[in-house]
Amino acid sequence: MAIAKAERLMNLALCLLGTRRPLSKRELRGSIEAYIEAFGPGSGAAFGSVNGSGVTTQGSDDAFNRMFERDKEDLRELGLIIETVEGVDGETGYLARRDSNRLPPITLDVAEAAALGLAAKVWQQARLAAAANGALQKLAAAGMPPAEDPYGTQSALEPRIPVHEAAFEPLMLAARDRRPVVFEYRKANAARPEQRQVEPWTLECWRGHWYLAGWDRDRQAERVFRLSRITGKVRSRSLPFTAPVPDHVTVRETVESWAGETATGTARIKVRAGHGYPLRARALKVRELGEGWDELEIPYGHGLDAWLVEFGPDVVVLEPAELRAEVVERLRAVAKG
Amino acid sequence: MAGNAIDQTRRMLSLVTYLRERPGARVADVARAFGITEDELIGDLDVLPMCGTSFRGGDLLDIDTDGDRIWWHNPDASGTSTGEPLRLAADEATALLVAARAVATLPGLRESDRQALLRATAKIEAAAGEAAGASSRLSVSFESEGGVFADVDRAISERRRLWLRYYSPARDELTEREVDPIRLFAVGHTYMEAWCRLSEARRTFRLDRVAEIRLLDEPADPPPVELRDLSAGLVQPAAEDPEVIIEVGPGGRWVAEYYPHDSAEELPDGGLRITLRTPDPASLRRLALRLGPDGRIVSPPDLADSAREAARAALAAYGE
Repeated sequence: MAIAKAERLMNLALCLLGTRRPLSKRELRGSIEAYIEAFGPGSGAAFGSVNGSGVTTQGSDDAFNRMFERDKEDLRELGLIIETVEGVDGETGYLARRDSNRLPPITLDVAEAAALGLAAKVWQQARLAAAANGALQKLAAAGMPPAEDPYGTQSALEPRIPVHEAAFEPLMLAARDRRPVVFEYRKANAARPEQRQVEPWTLECWRGHWYLAGWDRDRQAERVFRLSRITGKVRSRSLPFTAPVPDHVTVRETVESWAGETATGTARIKVRAGHGYPLRARALKVRELGEGWDELEIPYGHGLDAWLVEFGPDVVVLEPAELRAEVVERLRAVAKG
Repeated sequence: MAGNAIDQTRRMLSLVTYLRERPGARVADVARAFGITEDELIGDLDVLPMCGTSFRGGDLLDIDTDGDRIWWHNPDASGTSTGEPLRLAADEATALLVAARAVATLPGLRESDRQALLRATAKIEAAAGEAAGASSRLSVSFESEGGVFADVDRAISERRRLWLRYYSPARDELTEREVDPIRLFAVGHTYMEAWCRLSEARRTFRLDRVAEIRLLDEPADPPPVELRDLSAGLVQPAAEDPEVIIEVGPGGRWVAEYYPHDSAEELPDGGLRITLRTPDPASLRRLALRLGPDGRIVSPPDLADSAREAARAALAAYGE
């Protein structure tokens, strides 16, 4: 049976961390059983130029090189800084220096450990959940005290960050590595998706939905995208960003204005007594009209017409005339149904 | 699976550091400190003796366990540097910092817990150094109604019953009820799961729809219920719930984003035909009204009729 990948990665990590001088690929291949088992000791080794299984040296060298490159990338994902050093003899050497890979001293008390333990549990996305656990394990190795979960008994708070959107992980990686992406995006009211080329800056979760802010290359402007409206695959490109990344990105303000939470004026409406609690909760003024009706003054922004129509015959718009007309038009559409 | 191999490698590297400092560590303690089961730990301990700076004899880690304690017989074999805790990777720092910052904004968090979290966050930022930079590229904000949250949290810890005035959007009305709180959770919005004494059933309440709340002196006495697995989503319609079919134009596609549904078929005009199930189809009258020109209820017919009637009644007030 082939040697498990975790064992191979662990051996490569220990070799790179344990050495004081750069090790060549040839040396690493000769020291790690998984590589020898799969590819033979290599052409430079003293054992000969053809490995035991009779595979040609060139073919097994290429396969080894590919696996070695992937393994190095995997270890880098785990945080290892692996240096590449050109040797005098023309052979490339690799090592993970002790001082660049060491976690600086960090002292956490029991309360801090418990708080981090709670925080690490919020991710419902596999990659981030695993990364958060990995961070806690490194901290435990660095001496963080074990946290008895104090929230099990004292608090019933269970925050969770939902991630249902398939586009999340590729966008997270692209934003992390600052790589431009291309995806098909369907605007809220568009019939067909359209290709967008975006330099991804930040991802933000608001009210349980994820949004991306970035530079739209075709429109040459900052744009906010809702991840659930991305259709198909997100492809990233190994090219640099062309626009500067701002210090502060305003995802939330943009989304609030989509949600109609940015009021531009006020409206006067009539609401049947006992109805329309959410409207009353945000009313600026309330006046009893008698005969089972109240008059409310409420903030008026984008989307208010659609919301008011939900209340059917229990809400009547008084002014402005423009809002009144929008509501009537919507009601007519439903009445025709 | 490749993901598992990477996670296991990550864990084993930390394990080596951890065990070096703790000769004879107990399996149960180590598993707890690493947030894994004892079986998973034993699995790691089976792999570690195959690891070292070379596969030749003395260079392998001589780690073994009798099932209770773990012994490492040659801690200096693989060079002392493998004993040092490793720096955090960018993803690790991001996952922990983004979550910690989000949790710190929860109004319901106890002040002492919030302070501990903020202290820990600052320490991690400092220790992560450059790796912390990428964490600014993700952010999460929870929303919750501070006062209501604090009352629910207190009721849970003191095991007391709550009185609520709660808004039901489906009926556009406020109802008064007594509930025995079970737990609070935040998935986008903040919710309380509770046993409702009015309906004698488990109910989920969104805190921003609580109009008024009071702690009662009676003890809470919810019957033992199995906590729902929230990873499958908040709304989990039952197979026997009635089916509703809605056709929307391009401007109504958002319905598929907000309402869990069984299917959403593309229509030639760029719209969708959405099929969903709900225990209470009448609650969708609001949706039918809201959609206006952007969509209509296809079935059940009485729901479509009730939306039309409501619209006609509303138009009457405008003199139409």
